[in-house]
Amino acid sequence: MSKQYKMLIIDDSQVILGTYNKFFSKKNYLVTTATNGLDGLKQIESEKEGFDVVITDIVMPNISGVGIIAIVKKKYPDTPVIAITGWGEHPEILALEASADKVLEKPIDLIELDKIVVDLIEKKKNKKADSE
Amino acid sequence: MGPPIIGISKEIERINDLIKHVADTGLNIVISGETGVGKEVVAQNLYQNSPRLGKPFVKVNCAALPEGLLESELYGYEKGAFTGAEQKKRGKFELANGGVLFLDEIGDMPLLLQSKLLHVLQSGEFAPLGSEKELKTDTWLIAATNHNLELEIKERKFREDLFYRLNIIKIHVPPLRERPEDIPHLIDYYITIYTSKFNNKHMLKPGSGVLQKLAKYHWPGNVRELQNVLKRVLVLGGWDEIIDELFISTPSPESPAAVDPLSLKSMASFGGGLLRRDDIQLDSFSLKEIRRQAVDRIEKEAISYILEKTGWNRSKASKILKISYKTLLYKIQDLNIQSTME
Ligand SMILES: Nc1ncnc2c1ncn2[C@@H]1O[C@H](COP(=O)(O)OP(=O)(O)OP(=O)(O)O)[C@@H](O)[C@H]1O
Ligand SMILES: [Mg+2]
Repeated sequence: MSKQYKMLIIDDSQVILGTYNKFFSKKNYLVTTATNGLDGLKQIESEKEGFDVVITDIVMPNISGVGIIAIVKKKYPDTPVIAITGWGEHPEILALEASADKVLEKPIDLIELDKIVVDLIEKKKNKKADSE
Repeated sequence: MGPPIIGISKEIERINDLIKHVADTGLNIVISGETGVGKEVVAQNLYQNSPRLGKPFVKVNCAALPEGLLESELYGYEKGAFTGAEQKKRGKFELANGGVLFLDEIGDMPLLLQSKLLHVLQSGEFAPLGSEKELKTDTWLIAATNHNLELEIKERKFREDLFYRLNIIKIHVPPLRERPEDIPHLIDYYITIYTSKFNNKHMLKPGSGVLQKLAKYHWPGNVRELQNVLKRVLVLGGWDEIIDELFISTPSPESPAAVDPLSLKSMASFGGGLLRRDDIQLDSFSLKEIRRQAVDRIEKEAISYILEKTGWNRSKASKILKISYKTLLYKIQDLNIQSTME
C-alpha cells in the first residue's frame, strides 16, 4: 500500500467539508478538516512534519484563506496550497500574490481537484529529489 | 500601553486566542464592532504580543480630518509641496515604519484616499506629497471600524478591492449586551484601577441585584459606558441612583441612535434660570441676547447628553446630532462641554 498523504481542508461550510472528506478519505489521503482559519492554523501548528497538501476556502471567519496561504508558505514554502473561491468573490489575485499554487472557483469538480493534488505532490517530491 | 482584554465569555476567549496565533504574522487586520467595545484595545494587544513591540504604534483617526489633511497626515509632504507647506513633514506611514499603523474609523476614509491606500498596499511604497521619490514601507496595518463595511461596499462608499486587501484577518468584537458574563470581571478590573487612581477612595462592589440589572441593560456605549458608570458610582458613592438613571433615560434598545429630543430629561429645564437672575444688566438686555444664551444652553445640554450616551464617541455623537464632526468639535470647545466623568 502506498504512503498516505496528509491533507488539510479548511472551509466554513460543514457540507462542503463532509463531501471533500468522504471523497479524499476513500482515495487514501489522511484528511484533517477545520471550519475556520484559526482552527486550521492550529492544525498546521500541531502537525509537526507538516501537511503534504492544504486546500483552503478564501472567505472565512477570522483568518481568511489568503492569510492561511501566507502563513503556510512562510513556514513550509514547499507545501502545495490550493485556494478555492466562492461564487462572486474576486480575491484570486490576493491568493496568487500570497503564492497559492492553484486557485479554483466553486463549484469544484472533485476528480479534477484530485488530479491537481496528485500533480502538485509529485512536483514537490521531484523538487525535493532534485535538491538532494 | 493598553489594558489586557478582560472577559471570560467565549467570544473574548476566542479573540485572545486568535491574537496569540496571529500577532506574529504581520498580516493586515480589520477589527469591527460597535463604539466602545474595545477595538483599540484589541489592536494594542495585537501589537503587544507581536515582534514589533517596542517599535512605533501610530494611530490615525480617519474620521477626524478632512480629506486633504488626512492625506498629508498619512503620507507627509515636502517643503513647498503646496502653499503653506513651509516645512517638510513626515507622514504617519513613515513614522510607523517597522511598527504598527492603526487606521481607526477606516470606514470614514474618503474614496480618493481609499484608492491611494490601495495603491500603497499593492506596491509597498508611497510618495510624500510633492516628492518624486517613492519610499518603501514596512508597516503592519491594523484597521478598525464601527461601520458595516460589506454594506458600505454595496452602497459604493467603500472599495471592495481595498476591503479584501485589508481584511486578511478579521476580528469582530461583539457588543457588551451579548456577553453580559464579562460585566462583573470588567467591573472588578476597573474598580481596582479607579480606586488606586482616585486616592484609594472606597468603592462599593455591586451586589447581586445590581449585577442582574447591569446584565439586562443594553449598553449602547459598551465598555466605555460601563467605565463611565463606574466613575459616577465612585463620585456618588453608591449604585442605586445610577441604576435608576440607566433604565429611565436611555433610548430604545433597537436604535440607540434614535433619541427623541423631546424626551431629554434636561429639556425640562428649558429656559429656566435665564431670566431669574438678579443681576440682569438692563443695557445689555435684549431678546436677541436672550435667544442666543437660550440656544447655547439647550445646545450644550443636548450635546452633553448625547456625548454621555455615546460614551464620548464624538464621531457617533455627531451623526446622532446630524452635525459634522468638525462642527461638533467646535461646539464642544465653544460651549465648554466637559465630560462629567474624567
Ligand atoms: N475587554 C476589555 N477589557 C478591558 N478594557 C476594555 C475592554 N474593552 C474595552 N475596554 C476599555 O473601554 C474603553 C473603550 O475601548 P476602545 O477605545 O478600545 O473602544 P473602541 O471599540 O475603539 O471604540 P470607538 O469605536 O468608540 O473608537 C477603553 O478605555 C478600553 O481600554
Ligand atoms: Mg476606538
